[in-house]
Amino acid sequence: MSLVNFTTREITCKIVYYGPGRSGKTTNLQYIYGRVPDDRRGRMVSLATQTDRTLFFDFLPIELGSISGFATRFQLYTVPGQVYYNATRKLVLQGADGVVFVADSQVRQLDENVESLQNLQANLLEQGIDVRTIPVVLQYNKQDLPSDLILAPEELDDQLNFRMVPALGASAVSGKGVFETLRAISERVLRRLSEEQPA
Amino acid sequence: MKARVVEPWLLEPVERFVRESGCRLTLIMTPAGQVLAQYGFTRAVEVMSAAALGAGIAASTGEIVRMLAEPAFQALNHQGASHGIFLGHFDSPRGPLLALVVYGADTSVGLVQLFFEDLVTDLAAAAPPAPPRGPVLAADFERDLNQSLATLFR
Repeated sequence: MSLVNFTTREITCKIVYYGPGRSGKTTNLQYIYGRVPDDRRGRMVSLATQTDRTLFFDFLPIELGSISGFATRFQLYTVPGQVYYNATRKLVLQGADGVVFVADSQVRQLDENVESLQNLQANLLEQGIDVRTIPVVLQYNKQDLPSDLILAPEELDDQLNFRMVPALGASAVSGKGVFETLRAISERVLRRLSEEQPA
Repeated sequence: MKARVVEPWLLEPVERFVRESGCRLTLIMTPAGQVLAQYGFTRAVEVMSAAALGAGIAASTGEIVRMLAEPAFQALNHQGASHGIFLGHFDSPRGPLLALVVYGADTSVGLVQLFFEDLVTDLAAAAPPAPPRGPVLAADFERDLNQSLATLFR
């Protein structure tokens, strides 16, 4: 749940980048880290294996700036995508205010995307969170690959986006769609703070 | 340096703990890594990195303990060459919380642990009931958000 400090007028929100292994979650954070001015971000922490696969999580704190008079900070996390790291995925997901699901657009990765999305729903449910109530944005990454290797955003929508949440095509390695994804999840998470009474 | 707290009731117990234990850095946070109080960190974003890592340690240790069917862990300590790191888990009227404490050679893990127990008691006594939360942001927050994001990605 987002942390609100009414005394110092600060808001801190936790966003988790979820998705199958090698879909580009860490690449999203690395791109954001590289583009955000030094004074608006902290150190990027990566708990990774020797081959740079995410072992526990990546973490990047960024300062959005003043929103409605509140200094607003986002804590961006990734989870390890590989199937056998489910225990750590659950830990990182604790207290998330919003989720970016990073799907791999490659045709051969479709089953992994579906499995990871089902895993997200199961892990949220285990924490008493209905996936229909938490802000979620889909990112269809690797749209820069040759068209015969990937599914178009509309095709991925048919397979993954049955809740009709915002979905954006992206090429995280070049930064295309990374900012738009962050904007989309920011809007949804902050809208919740402007509308409802969090439980 | 003064402690920074999210709610005023945290201030006195945390400052007393810092004073009596002689620690250098203190973080009180939720198990999800949200910072409720901190002492000694100079940048807000660095304190969040420390909180994320501390919460990760606590979460993974808690899972191992659960797999072993042991009672929930209370505290971990790492004694380094010039700094010690103490991570304590405790229940409060506001739910489970974590304390991450960094101390130097001018104090000891024994003192930190002793005053940590006082801290837990003080926080339990000081915590008022959680206030109800209403809408936080103005309905037209998008304009501010767009301006902020425009300066974030240049």
